This record gives sequence, structure tokens and C-alpha cells, in this order.
Amino acid sequence: MNRHRTWGAPFLATACLWLAVWIYSASAFSQSADEIREGKVCANCHANALMVWTGKHGTKADARAPISVGCAMCHGDPAEHLKSPANAMPKRFSKMPSAEKNEVCSTCHQGRARIHWAGSTHERRDVACSSCHKVHVAHDPVRDKLTQSDVCFSCHKEQRVQINRPSRHPIREGLIACSDCHNPHGSVGPAMMVRDNVNDTCYTCHMEKRGPFVRTHQPVQENCALCHNPHGTTNPNLLRQRSPFLCQQCHEPTSHRGNIANLTGTSTSASTLARGCMNCHTQIHGTNNPSDISNERTFRR
Amino acid sequence: MNTRKAFTKTGMAAALLAALAPADAAEMLAPYGQLNTAASEASAGLGYADNDGRRFGQYNGISRDGFYGLLDFSLVKRDDETGTWLGGFGRNVGLYNRQLRFEHTRQGDWGYFVEYNRIPRLEPYSILTGVSGIGSNNLTMPAPPTSPPSADLKTVRDNIGLGFDKILFGNWDLQVRFRNEEKDGTRVFARGTTGAGPVGSFGQFEFTPEPINSTTRQLDVKINYTGTDLQLAGGYYGTMYNNQYNGLNIAGGLAGLSTFTPLALPPDNHSHQLYLSGSYGFTPTTRGNFKVAYAQAKQDDAFVTGVNVPLSPGIGNNLMGKVDTKLAQAGIVSTPIPKLTLSANLRYEDRDDKTPVLLYLTPALTTTDGANEPRSIRTTTAKAEASYALPQYFRLTGGVDYEEKKRNTSPVRIVSFRETTDETSYRVELRRMMSETLTGALSYVHSERGGSPWVLTTVTGGAVGSNLIAPIHLADRDRDKVRLSVNWTPVDPLTFGFYVDAARDDYSTRDGSTIGPMKGKYRNYSLDAAYSFTDQWQATAWYTWNETKADQTTCVGASSTGVCGVPTYSSTISNRSDSVGFGLRGKPSAALQLGADLSYTDIKDDYEQATLTGAAIDSVPAITTRLTRLNLFAKYALQKNSGIRLDYVFDRYSTNDWTWSTWVYADGSRLREDPNQKVNFFGVSYYYKWQ
Repeated sequence: MNRHRTWGAPFLATACLWLAVWIYSASAFSQSADEIREGKVCANCHANALMVWTGKHGTKADARAPISVGCAMCHGDPAEHLKSPANAMPKRFSKMPSAEKNEVCSTCHQGRARIHWAGSTHERRDVACSSCHKVHVAHDPVRDKLTQSDVCFSCHKEQRVQINRPSRHPIREGLIACSDCHNPHGSVGPAMMVRDNVNDTCYTCHMEKRGPFVRTHQPVQENCALCHNPHGTTNPNLLRQRSPFLCQQCHEPTSHRGNIANLTGTSTSASTLARGCMNCHTQIHGTNNPSDISNERTFRR
Repeated sequence: MNTRKAFTKTGMAAALLAALAPADAAEMLAPYGQLNTAASEASAGLGYADNDGRRFGQYNGISRDGFYGLLDFSLVKRDDETGTWLGGFGRNVGLYNRQLRFEHTRQGDWGYFVEYNRIPRLEPYSILTGVSGIGSNNLTMPAPPTSPPSADLKTVRDNIGLGFDKILFGNWDLQVRFRNEEKDGTRVFARGTTGAGPVGSFGQFEFTPEPINSTTRQLDVKINYTGTDLQLAGGYYGTMYNNQYNGLNIAGGLAGLSTFTPLALPPDNHSHQLYLSGSYGFTPTTRGNFKVAYAQAKQDDAFVTGVNVPLSPGIGNNLMGKVDTKLAQAGIVSTPIPKLTLSANLRYEDRDDKTPVLLYLTPALTTTDGANEPRSIRTTTAKAEASYALPQYFRLTGGVDYEEKKRNTSPVRIVSFRETTDETSYRVELRRMMSETLTGALSYVHSERGGSPWVLTTVTGGAVGSNLIAPIHLADRDRDKVRLSVNWTPVDPLTFGFYVDAARDDYSTRDGSTIGPMKGKYRNYSLDAAYSFTDQWQATAWYTWNETKADQTTCVGASSTGVCGVPTYSSTISNRSDSVGFGLRGKPSAALQLGADLSYTDIKDDYEQATLTGAAIDSVPAITTRLTRLNLFAKYALQKNSGIRLDYVFDRYSTNDWTWSTWVYADGSRLREDPNQKVNFFGVSYYYKWQ
């Protein structure tokens, strides 16, 4: 009696399971072509994945949009997967090499800002489109200025702490995003700058520093990043170092330039306190003052 | 991976403002029919800050205690028949850093948008000053008052962006972007010279806030061609900067500074660039890309004038500044056999400063010949890389990078110079991808920088000056960099990430000199962890230790011919920080969501100075800065499409920074900062969603 019950329950359960699978499969194949294409069948197991259609991928009137083909456009033919969900997998992005993932996306997303993707640092370091972009959500975090930096920080740990330094850009507030300065899809500038070089990128917001001026400061014209760390510092004005140490990295120790940093309140402390060397050399980025005045060369007027 | 990482945002604004941002529509499992339509959402509420917090409010405007309006919306409507989108977006509409955007697009055909963004920057220091006329370009210095009144300085950028896209025909499309930014306000500025100031001040330094009233415009018009093998993008990029003021006039003040008026302010300038870039797939396994561009920048703003601006004869009324920049780049990536990938890139940029060289200053001084000094620079970079796939998903990559910079200089100079520097970097990397449990990379880069013979500092008349320092960006340098990243998933819901970045610089001094930049060091260690307790509860944690360090030496009072005085001393400047963060997201019931983020950073800046020869000297006191932020939120759905949200933010900033703590200008002005700032912010808002 007990033995019958012991064998009977699993048998019954197995039979019910097979029946359920059969009914499910049958119902799956009973869907219309549109329902299969748009993923209604897929939604039975991957409901949230269909959020993809809330965005531009799901615009039916655009013949280029994936919804015109359906989930299969990126994930391949689902027929075998529908017959045997556990054994026959469609294209699973989490299991694919980066190059293969990117090949899927680049079927449609080529050119424009991605022209320099091939050979870019991200491409050469196996970064996949899906490493940064979420497709199956209504709101891709990396395309939102407020949440974009978190995506970047999943790899760039140094910058995660730097943007919280007292001297910083308003990245935390979502007013400036990493992509305001960098093109993660590749560029011809160093560090994937959005413009062709560091200075031209900085000038998009700080054009007053461009000049050229009557009196120019050589490192200013060469590269803003020689003196500034745009990701954040503890020094005023995003400076890499505090005055006078920063200035002493280039300038000869003649005259007052070798002054020892101090807080004594004497005249020599003026190179350390307040604006440091810029207490006198106020126009450190260059001045357009043409005055024929003694010592005008030193950015003081 | 990103799902978990997305919880790591620990900034104050992230929690406060994301709270009011459009909710992720994937939060609730919606029936199939509802998934096809994008959702709109709006929220409105009230926030309260219990204290003044200049650091807290520097970029969001919440710098004073009191109530603040919280208003956000995201409206999106798609017409499925035509594929037309209509969108409206507003963030922080009730705050000082509001962002608004309207867009209208027919997908696959045309689209346009209009956006408005405000970026404020409130001066984090409280300012006590008797200077009058602040905000204008006419300032008047006070007689030093005993109790100067306070002034709040800030700058505000209001920018309007316009965009238009149109698919023209075939694979061609047009893209137009325009941005106009008005920047207004006042920033900290001063004038100064050597000599003693009034008793109680630090010398002849006067507080002269700079008026900001400028317009920046950018226009980018681009034609794109997007074919299967060939993609092109060509167009025009123009910029313009217009400053309302070209000089700052100052009345009164110390006799020693009486000629320091007007102070020149940034001049108007503009640039125009034509460019063409492209990418071409030669074969399925070989792709190349390129860019060529030509830009011309001009600065011909009228010189500032005044009795203190005597002009040399023949210089005209503006600089006639002109800089031409030519750019050419070409790159190729090829996979000749499945396991091997080769890439190469060549880039050339010539910044040619064609500004006329004129005699602006009577060459009475020894450190200038009186002429202006145009700066030209030509940069050539080349990269080559080979990458080979090994068994077990390993990949070995090796590469060589080369960069050469050629610069010009003037006949008379006070800083040593090198016309050419070149740097070669050798790198190797071992990477493992595609593993279920363990991925990562280990890379090493060694760089060597050298250059042409030093061009000595020279005074008027040709005599050689002091030549002790090799400027840090020109000096011979060996650099070693190591990077390690490991991502480990020991069990499915638990993930660890371990990251190491380390670099070491070794600078060479000038022949016969023992001073200048010596060494640099950088280290960053980071450990991240993420754990999913259930589908409803996830937690993240991270810790980062970071250090930068520079060793340099100099001396006091070197002679004009470069004989060091005493003492000769070293400076070791270091910055170390410990940062830790925790995040928690939970959904205890279908209607309730909870979240918490905590971050803490302890930063220490050391300025050690030690005598090498001569009398002992003191170091400058270290500066310690601590930042704590706690963000909590609870979101409760009253109905399926509406609910309330509660937010709490705790922000603490503490420092012993001495930069301004004792400083007094000759006019009595001073900048001060509350060394302990603590703000509690509470927010409550109601949200509503619809489709």
C-alpha cells in the first residue's frame, strides 16, 4: 500500500509536468506570427525582456526597427528553443564573446559617432555594447546624465572616488556626464575625447581659455591636463597640485620662485595661501593686455 | 553585471534626484499589452534642508536651510501608426539646476529637439568684503572696514540646445546641433604685487571679483553616409566666444597697485573647422578608419584701453591672433587568422600659431624681448598592436605606442625648453574573458620619454640664465604602469571585483643639476562586491584606497645664472584617500521599494618639506577632508500607477583646509569656510504614471 503511494506520487507529478509542457508548447505554437515575432511567446518566460519594445527598437512604423523581425533579429530563430526551452538556446548575449555581441548591434548601429569604434581602446579591450547599454529596459541608465557615470565606474574605479573630491565637476548632480568629454565609441582624440584633443574638448565649456593671447603660458596652450585633473582633486580649481608646488615643477628657483611653502603670514606665504602664486600672476591662462609696462609678461594684468 | 553596478551610485544627488526621475518601468511585471507602450511619469513634492550647506548646495542650489520644490516629469508618446514620438522631460524643475527638454521625432525620417539646462556654481566660501560694484566691471576698493559685509558669489550657465536630424535619401542623413550658453555671475579674482600691505593683511593683495557675462555658441552641421561597408561623416564645426567685458576697472586701493587697472579679461574668439571622417570594411575581417580636419581659430578682440595701457607703436588695436590646426588620422584593424588580431593607428596634428609677432613691450627687462610668444605644437602618434587568442579564453596582447611633440619657443625665455619630446611605450596584456566564474586582465606598460637637447633660458642680449629645472612635461621620464582587474563569481548571487592600478614615474634631472621633478607614484586599489539575497533584495559594497605622490626638489634664491642658494630642499606631496560605499535595494512587498546608499571618504593631503642642504625647514600642515553621504528612500505605490516617495539625505563635509582660513586681503576682504558642514534633507513627493 505504502509502496504504491511512494511510486504513485512521482509518477503523477511527472505526468502532470509533461502534460503542462505539452499544453504550453501547443499553446506556444498556436500563437499568430505577429505574436511570436513580437515576443508574446517569449514573454511567457521573459516578461521583462519585452520592455525592449517600449523604446525605439519597438517602433513598428520604422521598417529598420527590430520589432519588424522580432526577438529573432538579435537572438536568432527561436523555433528550436520553443520546442525544447531548456536544451536549445537562442543567442544568449551573456554567453557570447564581445565581438559577436557587437556584431549583432553593428548590423544596424554603424557610422556616425561610432566611426572610430574599430581599434578604439574599448573595442580592443573586449568591451561589448551590452557592457554599457541595457536594451530590455524602458530607460537605459548609460544614456541618462544622472546615472551614466555609475555605468562607467563599473570599470573606472579611480574616477569613482575622484568625482567626490571637494574640487570637481558637477557629475554627481547629473549636470555633466562622462560623455560630455569622452566618446566611449572611439574618437581620434587622446583618451577618447569628444573633440580632437584635450584642449578643444575643454574649450567646449571653457572657451575663454582658448586665446590666443598677447601673453601665452606654454603648458596652457599645450594641454589643460598638465595642470588640471578634470575628474576631481582636493586642490582648488581642479589643480593636480597646490601652489607653489605645481609651479615649481617647471619654473627656475630664481627670484621668489623657490620660496618654501609656509603659512607664516609673511610675504613668502603668499605663494601658498589663498590663490597661491596666482595672488599676483592672476592671468595664468594668458592675458590679452598689450600694455608696454615693465614686467607685463608675467600675467599680472 | 550592470544591474548590480547600477546600485553603486552613492552621490547625494543620485539618491535625491533619481528619486524623482522617471521610474524604471521594469519595476513591475506588466501584462504583455502594456509592455508595448512607453510610460510617462510626473512627480511633485516638497523638500526641506535643515541647515546651510555651501558644499552640499554648490551645484544644486540647496545651500540654505528652508523648503525647496521638487518637480520632475518624463512624458513620452509614440504614435504606432506613423512611428512619431513626442517627448517632454524635466528634471529638478523646482530646483536651481533645472533641466528641460522637448523632442519630436518621426523615427527613421526626421527629428528635432529643444533643451534647456542650467548649471549653477555657488561659491563654496562665504565672502566678507567691502568692495563695491561687484558683478560689474567697475570696482571700487574700500578703505579697510572693520566688519565688511558679506557677499555671495556664483556663476550660472544657462544653455539652450537645438538639434535637427533628417534622413535625406538612401544612406545619407543630416545632423545639426547648436548650443548657446549664457554664463553670468562673478568669480573669485584678485590683483597683487610684491611689498608690504596694511597691518593685518598678507601684503599688497586686493580682492577684485571678476564679472562673468559671456556667450558661448557651438554649431555642428554634419552629413553622414552609412553604408554596409563604408561610413562617412563630414561637416562643419564652429564655435564662438563673446565676452561682455574685455577689462576690469578698479578705482581706489593701494598706491602700489594703482597701475593694475584695468585688468584684461578673456577676449572674444571664434573657430571654424571642416572635417571628414570615415570607416571602411575592406573585408569581413579588416576595417579601416580615418579623419582629416582643418580648423582656423581667430582672436581679434579689441585691446583693453586706459591710461595704464600704454601701447608700443605699430601693434594696432587687436592681436590679430590666428591659429590653424590640421589633423590627419588613419587606423586599421585586421584579423588575418581567427586567433590573431592586428591593429595600427597613425595620427598627425599640427597646431600652427600664425599670430603676428610684434614688439608689445619696450625690451628694458632681461627676461623678455618684448614680443608676444605664439605657441605652435605638432603632435605625431603611432600605435601598433597584436592580439592572439590562447586556450581557455585567454588572450595575449602586445603593443607599441609612440608619441612625438614638436614645439616652438621664443628667443628669450625664463623656463628651459625642448623643441622635441618623444615617448615610446611598450605594453603587454593577458586577458581572460568569457569564463562563468573568473574573468580579468593583467597588463603592464613601460614608457620612456626623451627629447631633443635643452634650449637654455636666455635673457635679452643673449646671456644664459638659470637652467636647473627640467619642466615636468618635457623632462626625460621612465614610467611603469600595472593594471589588474579580476571579476569573480564564486556562487551565482555573489560577485567580487578586484582592481589594481599602479604607476611609477622616474624623472631625470638636467645635467649638472640635482633639483627638479624627481619621482611620481600612483596607486589605486579597489574591491567591489555585490550580493543578491533574493530577487527582491540586493546589496553592494565597495572600498577604494587611492594614493598619488610626487617628489620634487628646488632651492631658495638661485642666482640669475643658476647657482642654487640655500636651503636646497625636497617636497613630497601626497594625496591618500580611503573611500567606502554600501548600497541596498529591496522590495519587501509589491507596493513598497526601499533603498539606501552610504559613502564615506577620508582624504589626507601631506606636504612634507625636508632640507637637503642648509638650515632645517618646516613642512606645511596636512589637510584632512572627510565626506559622508547617506541617502535613504522609500517608494510606496498607493495604486498601480501612483504613489508616494520619501527621501532622506545626510551630507557631511569636514576639513581643516588652511587655504583661506587666515588670509586677509589688503582691502579687508576675506574668504572663509565652515569647517564642519552638516545638512539633513527631507523630501516627500507624489508620483503618477500613465500610458
